[in-house]
Amino acid sequence: MTDKRALHPTETMLEEFATGNLSTGKCVAIAAHVELCAECRQRTSEIEAQATLAWLAETGSDSTESSSDYASLVDSIVAQPQFSDADEFAEQDAASPVREIHMHERSITLPSVLARIASDGLVWKKLAGGINQASVMLDDETQCEFLYMKPGSQVPVHKHQGNEITLVLDGSFSDAMGNYGPSDFVVRTPSHTHQPASDEGCLCFAVLDSPLTFTKGLARLFNPVNRYRFKRATSQRV
Amino acid sequence: MGNSISDGLPPPSVPRSRKASDSRTEAAAVADIAPAIEAEQEISDEKLLIAVGNSKDRQAFDQLFKRFAKRIFAMGMKLTRNEQLSNDLVQEAMLTVWQKAPLYDLDRGTAQSWIFTLTRNRCFDMLRKLKRQPSTVNADDIWPQEGEHDGNMVHEEQGSQEVEIAQIEAYYEQLPDAQREVVEQIYIHDRTHEEAAEHLQIPLGTLKSRLRLAVGKLRHLIGIEQ
Repeated sequence: MTDKRALHPTETMLEEFATGNLSTGKCVAIAAHVELCAECRQRTSEIEAQATLAWLAETGSDSTESSSDYASLVDSIVAQPQFSDADEFAEQDAASPVREIHMHERSITLPSVLARIASDGLVWKKLAGGINQASVMLDDETQCEFLYMKPGSQVPVHKHQGNEITLVLDGSFSDAMGNYGPSDFVVRTPSHTHQPASDEGCLCFAVLDSPLTFTKGLARLFNPVNRYRFKRATSQRV
Repeated sequence: MGNSISDGLPPPSVPRSRKASDSRTEAAAVADIAPAIEAEQEISDEKLLIAVGNSKDRQAFDQLFKRFAKRIFAMGMKLTRNEQLSNDLVQEAMLTVWQKAPLYDLDRGTAQSWIFTLTRNRCFDMLRKLKRQPSTVNADDIWPQEGEHDGNMVHEEQGSQEVEIAQIEAYYEQLPDAQREVVEQIYIHDRTHEEAAEHLQIPLGTLKSRLRLAVGKLRHLIGIEQ
Protein backbone atom coordinates (compact mmCIF):
# COMPACT_ATOMS: atom_id res chain seq x y z
CA MET A 1 0.00 0.00 0.00
CA THR A 2 2.45 2.60 1.16
CA ASP A 3 5.46 3.11 -1.06
CA LYS A 4 8.21 1.59 1.06
CA ARG A 5 10.87 3.95 -0.22
CA ALA A 6 8.71 6.81 1.03
CA LEU A 7 9.50 5.76 4.59
CA HIS A 8 13.17 6.72 4.32
CA PRO A 9 14.85 10.13 4.11
CA THR A 10 14.83 11.47 0.55
CA GLU A 11 18.03 11.49 -1.50
CA THR A 12 18.24 15.27 -1.02
CA MET A 13 17.94 14.93 2.74
CA LEU A 14 20.70 12.32 2.79
CA GLU A 15 22.89 14.64 0.72
CA GLU A 16 22.31 17.54 3.07
CA PHE A 17 22.92 15.22 6.00
CA ALA A 18 26.18 13.87 4.58
CA THR A 19 27.51 17.36 3.95
CA GLY A 20 26.37 18.73 7.31
CA ASN A 21 23.94 21.20 5.77
CA LEU A 22 20.90 20.58 7.96
CA SER A 23 19.61 21.71 11.33
CA THR A 24 20.78 19.62 14.27
CA GLY A 25 17.24 18.34 14.92
CA LYS A 26 16.91 16.94 11.41
CA CYS A 27 20.46 15.57 11.46
CA VAL A 28 19.64 13.70 14.66
CA ALA A 29 16.45 12.19 13.20
CA ILE A 30 18.31 11.11 10.05
CA ALA A 31 21.29 9.79 12.02
CA ALA A 32 18.94 7.68 14.15
CA HIS A 33 17.23 6.30 11.06
CA VAL A 34 20.58 5.64 9.36
CA GLU A 35 21.71 3.64 12.37
CA LEU A 36 18.61 1.45 12.02
CA CYS A 37 18.63 1.17 8.20
CA ALA A 38 21.50 -0.58 6.41
CA GLU A 39 20.35 0.71 3.03
CA CYS A 40 20.47 4.37 4.04
CA ARG A 41 23.76 3.78 5.85
CA GLN A 42 25.27 2.42 2.67
CA ARG A 43 23.82 5.30 0.65
CA THR A 44 25.21 7.83 3.12
CA SER A 45 28.75 6.47 2.77
CA GLU A 46 28.43 6.58 -1.00
CA ILE A 47 27.30 10.20 -0.83
CA GLU A 48 30.18 11.02 1.51
CA ALA A 49 32.61 9.47 -0.96
CA GLN A 50 31.12 11.50 -3.84
CA ALA A 51 31.13 14.67 -1.77
CA THR A 52 34.80 14.07 -0.99
CA LEU A 53 35.66 13.80 -4.68
CA ALA A 54 33.70 16.98 -5.42
CA TRP A 55 35.54 18.73 -2.60
CA LEU A 56 38.94 17.64 -3.92
CA ALA A 57 38.02 18.66 -7.45
CA GLU A 58 36.82 22.12 -6.36
CA THR A 59 39.87 22.91 -4.33
CA GLY A 60 42.56 21.55 -6.61
CA SER A 61 45.93 20.43 -5.35
CA ASP A 62 47.64 23.68 -4.39
CA SER A 63 49.65 23.00 -1.37
CA THR A 64 50.15 25.43 1.46
CA GLU A 65 53.39 27.39 1.56
CA SER A 66 55.60 26.95 4.56
CA SER A 67 55.58 29.97 6.80
CA SER A 68 56.53 30.60 10.38
CA ASP A 69 52.85 30.85 11.41
CA TYR A 70 52.20 27.55 9.84
CA ALA A 71 55.23 25.91 11.41
CA SER A 72 54.28 27.02 14.90
CA LEU A 73 50.73 25.74 14.37
CA VAL A 74 52.09 22.34 13.35
CA ASP A 75 54.41 22.44 16.37
CA SER A 76 51.53 23.07 18.73
CA ILE A 77 49.44 20.31 17.17
CA VAL A 78 52.10 17.60 17.27
CA ALA A 79 52.70 18.42 20.93
CA GLN A 80 49.18 17.11 21.66
CA PRO A 81 48.63 13.49 22.67
CA GLN A 82 47.01 11.11 20.19
CA PHE A 83 43.95 8.96 20.82
CA SER A 84 45.82 5.72 20.77
CA ASP A 85 46.26 4.75 24.34
CA ALA A 86 44.01 2.17 25.91
CA ASP A 87 43.14 4.44 28.81
CA GLU A 88 41.69 7.04 26.49
CA PHE A 89 39.46 4.40 25.00
CA ALA A 90 38.46 3.35 28.47
CA GLU A 91 37.47 6.91 29.22
CA GLN A 92 35.33 7.08 26.10
CA ASP A 93 33.68 3.78 26.98
CA ALA A 94 32.91 4.92 30.47
CA ALA A 95 31.16 7.95 29.03
CA SER A 96 28.98 5.91 26.72
CA PRO A 97 25.33 6.53 27.49
CA VAL A 98 22.61 4.20 28.65
CA ARG A 99 21.08 2.65 25.58
CA GLU A 100 17.65 1.69 26.85
CA ILE A 101 14.63 3.53 28.10
CA HIS A 102 11.63 2.03 29.81
CA MET A 103 8.15 2.91 28.70
CA HIS A 104 5.26 1.30 30.53
CA GLU A 105 7.20 -1.84 31.37
CA ARG A 106 8.70 -2.15 27.92
CA SER A 107 12.40 -1.73 27.60
CA ILE A 108 13.35 -0.03 24.33
CA THR A 109 16.85 0.14 22.89
CA LEU A 110 17.52 3.54 21.36
CA PRO A 111 19.81 4.41 18.45
CA SER A 112 23.04 5.74 19.96
CA VAL A 113 22.49 9.41 19.07
CA LEU A 114 19.08 9.38 20.74
CA ALA A 115 20.47 7.47 23.70
CA ARG A 116 23.02 10.24 24.10
CA ILE A 117 20.22 12.82 24.16
CA ALA A 118 18.00 10.78 26.46
CA SER A 119 20.85 10.20 28.91
CA ASP A 120 20.64 13.90 29.83
CA GLY A 121 17.23 13.06 31.30
CA LEU A 122 13.81 13.32 29.69
CA VAL A 123 10.92 15.18 31.25
CA TRP A 124 7.63 13.62 30.19
CA LYS A 125 4.42 15.60 29.95
CA LYS A 126 0.95 14.22 29.40
CA LEU A 127 -0.92 15.63 26.43
CA ALA A 128 -4.49 14.96 25.32
CA GLY A 129 -5.49 11.57 23.87
CA GLY A 130 -3.05 9.27 25.68
CA ILE A 131 0.05 10.96 24.31
CA ASN A 132 3.16 11.65 26.36
CA GLN A 133 5.76 14.05 25.17
CA ALA A 134 9.34 14.83 26.20
CA SER A 135 10.82 17.86 24.46
CA VAL A 136 14.52 18.18 23.82
CA MET A 137 16.30 21.34 22.78
CA LEU A 138 18.70 20.74 19.93
CA ASP A 139 18.73 23.91 17.88
CA ASP A 140 16.77 27.09 17.26
CA GLU A 141 15.08 26.02 14.04
CA THR A 142 13.19 22.92 15.08
CA GLN A 143 11.09 21.53 17.87
CA CYS A 144 12.24 18.05 18.78
CA GLU A 145 10.56 15.59 21.04
CA PHE A 146 10.15 11.99 22.02
CA LEU A 147 6.50 11.01 21.73
CA TYR A 148 5.00 8.03 23.43
CA MET A 149 1.51 7.01 22.34
CA LYS A 150 -0.16 4.65 24.78
CA PRO A 151 -1.92 1.60 23.28
CA GLY A 152 -5.26 2.77 21.90
CA SER A 153 -4.30 6.44 21.78
CA GLN A 154 -5.13 8.99 19.12
CA VAL A 155 -3.67 12.39 18.33
CA PRO A 156 -6.29 15.04 17.47
CA VAL A 157 -6.61 15.79 13.73
CA HIS A 158 -3.96 18.31 12.80
CA LYS A 159 -2.06 19.77 9.92
CA HIS A 160 1.35 21.37 9.82
CA GLN A 161 2.57 24.76 8.78
CA GLY A 162 5.97 23.28 8.19
CA ASN A 163 7.41 19.81 7.88
CA GLU A 164 7.18 17.12 10.47
CA ILE A 165 9.52 14.16 10.58
CA THR A 166 8.47 11.23 12.72
CA LEU A 167 10.85 8.34 13.26
CA VAL A 168 9.25 5.25 14.74
CA LEU A 169 11.45 3.67 17.39
CA ASP A 170 9.18 1.01 18.83
CA GLY A 171 5.62 -0.22 18.30
CA SER A 172 3.57 1.26 15.47
CA PHE A 173 1.09 3.94 14.55
CA SER A 174 -1.13 4.57 11.58
CA ASP A 175 -2.92 7.38 9.82
CA ALA A 176 -5.03 7.64 6.68
CA MET A 177 -1.90 7.18 4.55
CA GLY A 178 -0.54 4.02 6.08
CA ASN A 179 0.80 2.02 8.96
CA TYR A 180 4.30 2.67 10.30
CA GLY A 181 6.67 0.49 12.29
CA PRO A 182 10.20 0.62 13.73
CA SER A 183 12.80 2.60 11.71
CA ASP A 184 10.10 4.10 9.43
CA PHE A 185 10.86 7.73 8.63
CA VAL A 186 7.56 9.52 8.08
CA VAL A 187 7.59 13.01 6.56
CA ARG A 188 4.47 15.18 6.62
CA THR A 189 4.35 18.48 4.77
CA PRO A 190 1.97 21.46 5.12
CA SER A 191 -0.47 19.87 2.67
CA HIS A 192 -1.14 16.88 4.93
CA THR A 193 -3.90 16.82 7.51
CA HIS A 194 -3.66 13.69 9.55
CA GLN A 195 -4.79 11.92 12.67
CA PRO A 196 -2.23 9.40 13.89
CA ALA A 197 -3.47 6.59 16.11
CA SER A 198 -1.74 3.67 17.76
CA ASP A 199 -3.35 0.38 18.73
CA GLU A 200 -0.31 -1.33 20.22
CA GLY A 201 1.45 1.79 21.53
CA CYS A 202 4.35 3.59 19.91
CA LEU A 203 7.54 5.43 20.77
CA CYS A 204 8.70 8.02 18.21
CA PHE A 205 11.20 10.79 17.83
CA ALA A 206 9.64 13.78 16.07
CA VAL A 207 11.13 16.92 14.55
CA LEU A 208 8.92 19.84 13.58
CA ASP A 209 10.11 22.89 11.77
CA SER A 210 7.06 24.94 12.72
CA PRO A 211 4.09 24.54 15.07
CA LEU A 212 1.21 22.13 14.53
CA THR A 213 -2.29 23.48 13.97
CA PHE A 214 -5.22 21.42 15.17
CA THR A 215 -8.14 21.57 12.75
CA LYS A 216 -11.04 19.93 14.57
CA GLY A 217 -13.23 20.48 17.61
CA LEU A 218 -12.10 21.49 21.05
CA ALA A 219 -8.50 20.66 20.27
CA ARG A 220 -8.42 23.95 18.34
CA LEU A 221 -8.40 25.66 21.72
CA PHE A 222 -4.82 24.44 22.03
CA ASN A 223 -3.64 26.26 18.95
CA PRO A 224 -2.31 29.42 20.61
CA VAL A 225 -0.68 27.17 23.21
CA ASN A 226 0.98 25.12 20.52
CA ARG A 227 2.51 28.21 19.02
CA TYR A 228 3.66 29.34 22.41
CA ARG A 229 5.11 25.92 23.10
CA PHE A 230 6.97 25.98 19.84
CA LYS A 231 8.38 29.40 20.53
CA ARG A 232 9.51 28.33 23.93
CA ALA A 233 11.07 25.11 22.77
CA THR A 234 13.09 26.88 20.12
CA SER A 235 14.01 30.05 21.96
CA GLN A 236 17.72 30.59 22.25
CA ARG A 237 19.31 30.15 25.57
CA VAL A 238 22.35 32.12 26.44
CA MET B 1 43.49 34.07 -2.76
CA GLY B 2 43.61 30.55 -4.02
CA ASN B 3 44.36 31.66 -7.55
CA SER B 4 48.10 31.12 -7.48
CA ILE B 5 49.35 28.61 -9.98
CA SER B 6 50.95 25.74 -8.22
CA ASP B 7 54.46 27.17 -8.20
CA GLY B 8 55.98 24.74 -10.60
CA LEU B 9 54.71 21.69 -8.77
CA PRO B 10 54.25 18.67 -10.98
CA PRO B 11 50.62 17.83 -11.65
CA PRO B 12 49.04 15.49 -9.11
CA SER B 13 48.72 12.80 -11.72
CA VAL B 14 52.42 11.96 -11.56
CA PRO B 15 52.55 8.18 -11.61
CA ARG B 16 53.17 6.70 -8.22
CA SER B 17 56.31 4.68 -7.93
CA ARG B 18 55.73 1.14 -6.85
CA LYS B 19 59.02 0.59 -5.10
CA ALA B 20 58.91 -2.00 -2.41
CA SER B 21 58.96 -0.42 0.95
CA ASP B 22 58.82 -1.80 4.41
CA SER B 23 60.21 1.17 6.20
CA ARG B 24 57.56 2.71 8.39
CA THR B 25 59.15 6.09 8.13
CA GLU B 26 59.26 6.07 4.38
CA ALA B 27 57.46 9.39 4.34
CA ALA B 28 60.00 10.95 6.60
CA ALA B 29 62.90 9.25 4.89
CA VAL B 30 61.94 10.47 1.46
CA ALA B 31 61.29 13.96 2.72
CA ASP B 32 64.73 13.96 4.31
CA ILE B 33 66.61 12.84 1.26
CA ALA B 34 65.67 15.74 -0.91
CA PRO B 35 63.75 18.92 -1.00
CA ALA B 36 62.38 17.10 -4.01
CA ILE B 37 58.76 18.17 -4.02
CA GLU B 38 58.30 15.57 -6.66
CA ALA B 39 58.75 12.88 -4.07
CA GLU B 40 56.05 14.40 -1.92
CA GLN B 41 53.56 13.83 -4.66
CA GLU B 42 54.35 10.16 -4.83
CA ILE B 43 53.37 9.29 -1.30
CA SER B 44 49.69 8.60 -0.95
CA ASP B 45 47.61 10.41 1.63
CA GLU B 46 46.90 7.03 3.21
CA LYS B 47 50.60 6.31 3.72
CA LEU B 48 51.12 9.68 5.32
CA LEU B 49 48.16 9.16 7.62
CA ILE B 50 49.45 5.71 8.60
CA ALA B 51 52.85 7.18 9.43
CA VAL B 52 51.17 9.84 11.58
CA GLY B 53 48.94 7.32 13.35
CA ASN B 54 51.43 4.51 13.83
CA SER B 55 54.60 6.41 14.60
CA LYS B 56 53.66 10.05 15.27
CA ASP B 57 55.62 10.97 12.16
CA ARG B 58 55.90 14.73 12.19
CA GLN B 59 57.16 15.04 8.63
CA ALA B 60 54.23 13.05 7.36
CA PHE B 61 51.87 15.27 9.32
CA ASP B 62 53.55 18.29 7.81
CA GLN B 63 52.85 16.90 4.35
CA LEU B 64 49.20 16.26 5.17
CA PHE B 65 48.93 19.78 6.52
CA LYS B 66 50.34 21.18 3.29
CA ARG B 67 47.99 19.11 1.19
CA PHE B 68 44.79 19.72 3.13
CA ALA B 69 44.98 23.15 4.79
CA LYS B 70 43.67 25.01 1.75
CA ARG B 71 40.99 22.45 1.09
CA ILE B 72 39.76 22.66 4.67
CA PHE B 73 39.82 26.43 4.47
CA ALA B 74 37.74 26.27 1.30
CA MET B 75 35.17 24.00 2.93
CA GLY B 76 35.03 26.41 5.85
CA MET B 77 34.39 29.37 3.55
CA LYS B 78 31.63 27.47 1.81
CA LEU B 79 29.85 26.53 5.02
CA THR B 80 30.53 29.60 7.18
CA ARG B 81 31.44 32.41 4.72
CA ASN B 82 33.78 33.70 7.36
CA GLU B 83 37.54 33.86 6.99
CA GLN B 84 38.36 33.80 10.70
CA LEU B 85 36.12 30.79 11.30
CA SER B 86 37.64 29.04 8.32
CA ASN B 87 41.12 29.56 9.72
CA ASP B 88 39.93 28.19 13.05
CA LEU B 89 38.50 25.24 11.20
CA VAL B 90 41.87 24.47 9.60
CA GLN B 91 43.41 24.41 13.05
CA GLU B 92 40.69 22.29 14.65
CA ALA B 93 40.40 19.84 11.79
CA MET B 94 44.16 19.32 11.50
CA LEU B 95 44.38 18.84 15.26
CA THR B 96 41.72 16.14 14.96
CA VAL B 97 43.65 14.54 12.10
CA TRP B 98 46.67 14.32 14.40
CA GLN B 99 44.72 13.06 17.41
CA LYS B 100 42.60 10.52 15.60
CA ALA B 101 45.11 9.25 13.04
CA PRO B 102 45.58 6.04 15.08
CA LEU B 103 41.85 5.37 14.65
CA TYR B 104 41.87 5.73 10.86
CA ASP B 105 40.69 2.51 9.24
CA LEU B 106 41.91 1.79 5.73
CA ASP B 107 39.12 -0.75 5.22
CA ARG B 108 36.42 1.88 5.60
CA GLY B 109 37.47 4.51 3.11
CA THR B 110 40.14 6.76 1.68
CA ALA B 111 42.20 9.17 3.75
CA GLN B 112 40.57 12.03 1.84
CA SER B 113 37.11 10.84 2.75
CA TRP B 114 38.20 10.43 6.37
CA ILE B 115 39.50 14.00 6.47
CA PHE B 116 36.42 15.29 4.66
CA THR B 117 33.99 13.81 7.20
CA LEU B 118 36.15 14.86 10.12
CA THR B 119 36.26 18.44 8.80
CA ARG B 120 32.49 18.41 8.29
CA ASN B 121 32.08 17.33 11.92
CA ARG B 122 34.39 20.00 13.32
CA CYS B 123 32.64 22.64 11.22
CA PHE B 124 29.22 21.47 12.39
CA ASP B 125 30.31 21.75 16.02
CA MET B 126 31.89 25.17 15.47
CA LEU B 127 28.66 26.50 13.98
CA ARG B 128 26.59 25.03 16.79
CA LYS B 129 28.81 26.67 19.34
CA LEU B 130 28.62 29.97 17.51
CA LYS B 131 24.81 29.83 17.49
CA ARG B 132 24.94 28.91 21.17
CA GLN B 133 23.00 25.74 20.62
CA PRO B 134 22.80 23.34 23.56
CA SER B 135 25.66 20.89 23.79
CA THR B 136 23.33 17.91 24.21
CA VAL B 137 24.77 16.29 21.10
CA ASN B 138 27.82 16.90 18.98
CA ALA B 139 28.80 15.96 15.47
CA ASP B 140 30.57 12.79 16.56
CA ASP B 141 27.30 11.54 18.07
CA ILE B 142 25.47 12.29 14.83
CA TRP B 143 28.13 10.79 12.54
CA PRO B 144 29.83 8.16 14.69
CA GLN B 145 33.05 6.72 13.32
CA GLU B 146 32.57 3.03 13.61
CA GLY B 147 35.35 1.50 15.58
CA GLU B 148 35.76 4.58 17.75
CA HIS B 149 33.52 3.28 20.47
CA ASP B 150 34.62 -0.31 20.49
CA GLY B 151 38.35 -0.02 20.80
CA ASN B 152 38.29 -2.16 23.89
CA MET B 153 36.22 -4.98 22.60
CA VAL B 154 39.18 -6.94 21.38
CA HIS B 155 40.67 -6.97 24.85
CA GLU B 156 37.42 -8.10 26.38
CA GLU B 157 37.14 -10.94 23.96
CA GLN B 158 40.53 -12.37 24.69
CA GLY B 159 39.36 -14.47 27.61
CA SER B 160 37.41 -17.05 25.67
CA GLN B 161 36.32 -20.56 26.55
CA GLU B 162 38.59 -23.52 26.23
CA VAL B 163 38.64 -25.01 22.81
CA GLU B 164 40.85 -27.58 21.16
CA ILE B 165 43.88 -25.83 19.75
CA ALA B 166 43.74 -27.94 16.61
CA GLN B 167 40.18 -26.89 16.07
CA ILE B 168 41.06 -23.20 16.28
CA GLU B 169 43.92 -23.73 13.85
CA ALA B 170 41.54 -25.20 11.32
CA TYR B 171 39.24 -22.21 11.62
CA TYR B 172 42.18 -19.85 11.57
CA GLU B 173 43.10 -21.19 8.13
CA GLN B 174 39.64 -20.23 6.90
CA LEU B 175 40.04 -16.56 7.74
CA PRO B 176 40.55 -14.11 4.87
CA ASP B 177 44.24 -13.29 4.38
CA ALA B 178 43.96 -9.76 5.71
CA GLN B 179 42.44 -10.98 8.96
CA ARG B 180 44.66 -14.03 9.32
CA GLU B 181 47.87 -12.03 9.12
CA VAL B 182 46.62 -9.77 11.88
CA VAL B 183 45.75 -12.72 14.12
CA GLU B 184 49.14 -14.22 13.33
CA GLN B 185 50.94 -11.06 14.42
CA ILE B 186 49.05 -10.72 17.67
CA TYR B 187 48.51 -14.29 18.81
CA ILE B 188 51.35 -16.20 17.22
CA HIS B 189 54.16 -13.65 17.16
CA ASP B 190 52.79 -12.07 20.30
CA ARG B 191 53.26 -8.53 19.07
CA THR B 192 51.49 -5.52 20.52
CA HIS B 193 48.85 -3.84 18.38
CA GLU B 194 51.26 -1.00 17.67
CA GLU B 195 54.08 -3.33 16.63
CA ALA B 196 51.79 -5.40 14.45
CA ALA B 197 50.38 -2.32 12.70
CA GLU B 198 53.88 -1.11 12.02
CA HIS B 199 55.02 -4.46 10.74
CA LEU B 200 52.03 -4.84 8.42
CA GLN B 201 52.14 -1.20 7.35
CA ILE B 202 48.48 -0.65 8.11
CA PRO B 203 46.82 1.92 10.35
CA LEU B 204 46.29 0.91 13.94
CA GLY B 205 42.55 1.49 13.45
CA THR B 206 42.52 -1.00 10.58
CA LEU B 207 44.46 -3.53 12.59
CA LYS B 208 41.98 -3.30 15.42
CA SER B 209 38.95 -3.60 13.22
CA ARG B 210 40.38 -6.60 11.32
CA LEU B 211 41.32 -8.25 14.59
CA ARG B 212 37.81 -7.64 15.90
CA LEU B 213 36.29 -9.17 12.79
CA ALA B 214 38.63 -12.15 12.91
CA VAL B 215 38.10 -12.84 16.61
CA GLY B 216 34.35 -12.44 16.14
CA LYS B 217 34.40 -14.89 13.26
CA LEU B 218 36.48 -17.44 15.17
CA ARG B 219 34.21 -17.21 18.17
CA HIS B 220 31.21 -17.61 15.93
CA LEU B 221 32.65 -20.70 14.26
CA ILE B 222 33.60 -22.20 17.60
CA GLY B 223 30.14 -21.42 18.96
CA ILE B 224 28.48 -23.27 16.11
CA GLU B 225 30.65 -26.31 16.67
CA GLN B 226 29.78 -26.64 20.33
